[in-house]
Amino acid sequence: MELLIKNLTKTYSNKVKALDDVSLKIGVGMFGLLGPNGAGKSTLMRTIATIQSPDSGEIHFNDIDVLVDQLSLRKVLGYLPQSFGVYPKMSAEQLLNYFAVLKGVNNKAERKELVNELLEITNLLDVKKKNVDGYSGGMKQRFGIAQLLLNDPKLIIVDEPTAGLDPAERQRFLNVIREVGTNCTVIFSTHIVEDVRELCNDMAIMNGGKILKHIRPVEATKEISGKIWIKAVKRDDLEKAEQKHNVLSSNYNVDNTINIRVYNEKKPGLGFKKTEPQLDDVYFIALKEDQKK
Amino acid sequence: MFFNIFKNEISYWLDRPAFYVYSLIFLFIAVMTSGSAAGLFDSITVTVGSSRIVNSPFALSGLFAGLSSLVIFLYPSIIGVSVYRDFKSEMHTILYSYPFTKLEYLLAKFFSGIFVVHIIVLLIALGIGLGFNLPGTNPDLLTEFDIKPYLDAYIIYILPNMLFTGAIVFGIVTFTRNISAGFIFVIIILILQGFLASFGQEQENRLIAALLDPFGDMALDYYTRYWTVAEQNELYIPIKGVFIYNRLIWLTIGFAVFISIYRLFSFSQNAFTFSFRKKDSVRFTKSNFGGITKINLPKINLNFSIKTQLNLFWRLSNIDFFYIIKSWPFISIVIVGLLLNLVGLFELGNIFGTATLPRTWRMLEAGAPFSLAINICTFLYAGLLIHRSRISNVNQLIDTTPTPNWILLGSKFLAIIKMQIVLLSLIMITGIIFQIYKGYYDFQIGLYIYELIVLNLIYYVIWALLSFFVQTLIPNPYLGLFVMIVLLIGIPLTSIAGIEQSIFKYNQGPGFSYSDMNGYGSGLQNYFVYKFYWLSLGIVFYILTILFYNRGLSSGIAEKFKIAKSRFNGKNPFFLSLFTLLFISIGGYIYYVNNILNVRKSAKEREIETVEWEKKYKKFESYSQPRIVSVNVNVDLFPKSRNVSASGKYIMVNKTKDVIDSIFLNHNRAISTFEFSKENSLVLEDTIYHFDIYKLKEPLSPGDSLNLEFSVKNQPNTFLRNNSPVIYNGTFVNNFTLFPSLGYSGGELRDDKTREKYGLPPNKLKPHPSNSTALGNTYISNDSDWVDFEAVVSTSKDQIAIAPGYLQKEWIEDDRRYFHYKMDSKILNFYAFNSADYQVARDKWNDVNLEIYHHKGHEYNLDRMMKGMKAALKYCSENFSPYQHKQARIIEFPRTTGTFAQSFPNTIPFSETFGFIADVDDSDEGGNDFAFVVTAHEIAHQWWAHQVIGADVLGATMLSESLSEYVALKVTEEVNGKNKMRKFLKRSLDTYLTQRTFETKRENALMYNDGQGYIHYQKGSLIFYALSDYIGESLLNNTLSNYVEKVAFQSPPYTTSIELVDDLREVIPDSLNYVIKDMFETITLYENRILKAESKELENGKYQVDFEFRVSKYRNDEKGKMFYGDEERDSIFYKSDDMRKPEYSVYLEDYIDIGVFGEDDDNELYLKKHKITSINNKLSIILDQKPVEVGIDPYNKLIDTNSDDNRKKVESL
Repeated sequence: MELLIKNLTKTYSNKVKALDDVSLKIGVGMFGLLGPNGAGKSTLMRTIATIQSPDSGEIHFNDIDVLVDQLSLRKVLGYLPQSFGVYPKMSAEQLLNYFAVLKGVNNKAERKELVNELLEITNLLDVKKKNVDGYSGGMKQRFGIAQLLLNDPKLIIVDEPTAGLDPAERQRFLNVIREVGTNCTVIFSTHIVEDVRELCNDMAIMNGGKILKHIRPVEATKEISGKIWIKAVKRDDLEKAEQKHNVLSSNYNVDNTINIRVYNEKKPGLGFKKTEPQLDDVYFIALKEDQKK
Repeated sequence: MFFNIFKNEISYWLDRPAFYVYSLIFLFIAVMTSGSAAGLFDSITVTVGSSRIVNSPFALSGLFAGLSSLVIFLYPSIIGVSVYRDFKSEMHTILYSYPFTKLEYLLAKFFSGIFVVHIIVLLIALGIGLGFNLPGTNPDLLTEFDIKPYLDAYIIYILPNMLFTGAIVFGIVTFTRNISAGFIFVIIILILQGFLASFGQEQENRLIAALLDPFGDMALDYYTRYWTVAEQNELYIPIKGVFIYNRLIWLTIGFAVFISIYRLFSFSQNAFTFSFRKKDSVRFTKSNFGGITKINLPKINLNFSIKTQLNLFWRLSNIDFFYIIKSWPFISIVIVGLLLNLVGLFELGNIFGTATLPRTWRMLEAGAPFSLAINICTFLYAGLLIHRSRISNVNQLIDTTPTPNWILLGSKFLAIIKMQIVLLSLIMITGIIFQIYKGYYDFQIGLYIYELIVLNLIYYVIWALLSFFVQTLIPNPYLGLFVMIVLLIGIPLTSIAGIEQSIFKYNQGPGFSYSDMNGYGSGLQNYFVYKFYWLSLGIVFYILTILFYNRGLSSGIAEKFKIAKSRFNGKNPFFLSLFTLLFISIGGYIYYVNNILNVRKSAKEREIETVEWEKKYKKFESYSQPRIVSVNVNVDLFPKSRNVSASGKYIMVNKTKDVIDSIFLNHNRAISTFEFSKENSLVLEDTIYHFDIYKLKEPLSPGDSLNLEFSVKNQPNTFLRNNSPVIYNGTFVNNFTLFPSLGYSGGELRDDKTREKYGLPPNKLKPHPSNSTALGNTYISNDSDWVDFEAVVSTSKDQIAIAPGYLQKEWIEDDRRYFHYKMDSKILNFYAFNSADYQVARDKWNDVNLEIYHHKGHEYNLDRMMKGMKAALKYCSENFSPYQHKQARIIEFPRTTGTFAQSFPNTIPFSETFGFIADVDDSDEGGNDFAFVVTAHEIAHQWWAHQVIGADVLGATMLSESLSEYVALKVTEEVNGKNKMRKFLKRSLDTYLTQRTFETKRENALMYNDGQGYIHYQKGSLIFYALSDYIGESLLNNTLSNYVEKVAFQSPPYTTSIELVDDLREVIPDSLNYVIKDMFETITLYENRILKAESKELENGKYQVDFEFRVSKYRNDEKGKMFYGDEERDSIFYKSDDMRKPEYSVYLEDYIDIGVFGEDDDNELYLKKHKITSINNKLSIILDQKPVEVGIDPYNKLIDTNSDDNRKKVESL
């Protein structure tokens, strides 16, 4: 099972280049697409999900030519967009039934069982008669997962699913995704590095419509092991430090000093301590390097 | 803060493309409407010719206010949506925390919407002004520019309507957060207005309608209903009384609505919803802390076989269908549509206040107004279904399912068709309910279903196809709806700009019409051809819809085209070319048949032909021609194949003193042969006007006779064209349609300005009756006087064929039925042939055989018609002269031929809807028993037309129509009694006063009338009825009887209205001489009214009633301009201290009825003619009984511009 993306390019009518010659190869398992807001993640995912057409390029999923034979891909696709609405005045059960019909689950008994099971998994059984447009953010997101699973998908695309969820909801969501994602390809976009670190066996960092880095998270941190340095500086010295060093991130301590993380082959200077690399560091390094170009 | 919000709103709208689309459409409509009214398209289509000024204050206010009221369709999306938009974009969460007050916010939102609408209204005003002034408009139709009518219309109509409807729409959309709800209100208010307009047709409802009309139209109508053309051209709209009350009522309501909005509105975040269930509040906590769930989904089978796909298609269409029928716009439109339909059912087919029976075709006809509701639902839901997923933001979920486009789109289309079927079925259901309510159980279910689900549905499907395309291209469904409504209304109107052929106008083409006698006739074939033609184009649009259907997200037009190109595969190219080809070839074929195989003439070409005809042949009008003295014809009617072939022989005599050397033969376009009994040569054969000139070798000397033998046969009927007057069942064809005539036959352009344009002299229409040289012809025919008549008519075996005369012989030959008719006395050269599968009802009056040939099942009113025949025969033969025939026959013909009755010698063709299926209500509330009245009128014509016939000069119809209608009133009076006549007279008066306002050329006095119905029927009958009241029925009838004796069956010169009026003048007492002048010689109208009436009981037990009343009369010239006498001394005036202006009148020495009425109905205590010499009068009368009501001319015998203020209740002191 393999998703192959070749030279995908897309320029919007407002001249924004959302995809710039993107090529990727994604296998089975969880694939994290990491990038800041506006990086082109959603465009890439919508293009794979067949609801947006690129200017040029190719996408293949196993032997499906996605851009030509969209219907075949949709048969094996589970897609959860970044934001979605539902028809008003329809309950979760009705809506899931509706989507199940649309996805080809024709047998009434099967459909009933499936919908019930999915409501159970997503913990929506108690509220299945309630209208979905009245759901809270987390419930709605769980409903989104339920609809995604209706057709036993082989390719799952979830676009920033954890944004705005409370910790418990987020955890639960990630668990479900992880659980279903074992045997298929899951593409998971986020700007939260934590999500990728916890879940993904493969990842790419994207910005400005380009894939900056495609790497396994484990190897990513290994690559920069011993090159991340940390130091607490005074607030007033921060600008100086930023000029002098390759500062990846900085954050306040309780005592109003600031911890800076610096990427450098050697110890950058006095007071720096070597620290364990984190995935965040990989992310920031990639973005920084891209900026320099 | 108000200003900031306001400014922000305005700039929002100025950024919207929709705003510019709306503005341009309205500007365009305004320019086109005013331009075409002012003759902008005269050069490409018929000339707009009228004595009406199109930009008079009256016309202009109507046009400006009318077009502005169309803007109401935009209110929901402009005014209504302004607050809702903040919710939709979730701006409200931020916005409502800002420091401004509720009032500022609401006012700014409301008035910004009003402001935007104002821009469009301003553009309409500009467009109207521009349209009138475009080069090419006709300056004769225009008066100078005047700003006042624009301002009047704006202040009185537009602004109050805008504030009132705007406030309600604003409130509705704000609280329901649903544009549709605002839209429903708009539809409802338009329907309400339409209802009030038809409700106000009845005189007694007009005041209520005037007060209740939310747009004020009926209030204006209340004052201007009887305005003559001159008044319409010159006067400003009256801003007074009821009009002001109406405006105040609705402004107050608007204001109250806004106050309520202000009270109810809060910056909260929930929409106002209706719920019948009680909501319990529950504390809600989550318990989903982490946890790993084992996911073990059941194994499911995804099935994409064609069977399951079709199943899915059906299911999805049901889901969409239920979405539609459960939604509020649909429910409201349906409820209102149904109510309107039911109300319409009560009014439809109403003739003279009497309903017709609820036949199924009538129920179907009543469903026609529902058509707009069906179309609006189609347009709206096509848009809502197409954009629904995007509007709800669920499109990304749906569009990534493996459902093919054809299912997603097709199921929506199927849902629309299902909705249309439901709506059409509702017409059937209301029809049946109404029939049951009326106790009428002959439901023709098959007819209902065939017409609704076969004939009508195609029409709506064709609109649905186009609306899918339009709604796919336009992202805003309400804008799409608006565009579709503009197309629906605009497409048929393109005829004004000279686009006349239906093949160029989407979903136009011949219609169909059902009659009990003839079913749908032969017209359906054409209907289907045109519908398949448009269906092909509709399918082309649908395929384009598939190509441009928006699935997923796309940006920009280029991408849409790219996607469309990529979808142009599979069967799409094949079907697209197939249906394009089908469309072009059917259209090409129709075009070929109508334009190449046959000569099609545009309205413009026909106008020019009329001009050419007159220029070429009018010169022959005065040439002497022989007169037809005998007609003998054989007519073979073939109902099955709808053919006619006939032959005949005219015997003609030179009755002039001149030698006649040429015969001018005027015939039709049928295949004809002509053979004269004298040697001749054809010197001119005109194949356009079918006007041929035969030069006789030996001229015809005075007294000599000449025979013409001719044969005519209709051009064959072809697939698309009907060339014969014969129909399957119920043929009715007269001699003018079928047979040749002699000489120039008239038919000239009437409007003098148009004539001037083509270099023709002004049209006198007809010579003045004082012109003694113009009395040679009757107004029926110009080539004969009285003729002998004989005819053999044949038809198919199952039908009876009828012609004037007495049946000599009837036989069957070659499976056809033959009838030989012969007239025993001379008749006018005016006869007709009828053929249908008739039943015959027979009766006798003295020795006259009475027969009614009627359609089986139409027996409802045969008794009333028999009664009418007898009453009129009796009245006329007792009062005027003996009946000249031994039989009188009424012959039914289908309603598709017309709703009228026409009197031929002893033969009266009578439309099925003009009496046969009348539902007469004999109670006091009931209307006119027109089955009886019309029959009486037509029988009276056997005297007043078939014995006495006027010369072909002005006023001729007074001698036929007015006197026949007088007889009808008199026999009605015999049946109903004198006191019941007021309602008939009032109705006639109202019709006269209303119809004269539509006059386009001129209104002459009765004795010089041009043949307008409102003069010779309504005014004429009122005048003769009043005259019989003034001089006594017996004196009038004696005079008429002497007149008949003098002029019946006379030879030329023929009699005129002058002769009769002179006879009348001789017998009238001098004191009543003014009556002749008022009634016959001039247009004179009264304004009589009671001002005050009080009564007191006297000591001797009697009652004294004191009352004050005014009498004034004025005259109108032919354009309706008011004056009070030929010279200054002819008029008088009255002015009291509390009057601002004096009241004028023509000099009075008039005798007018004064009546006093007691309790109980029509208890007449006092009725006497008083001589009135001044405008203001006071009168005191002593009575034995208690007076309840007094009246001046209480029975409305006189022509009075307000017949409602002639009676007044008496106040007891």
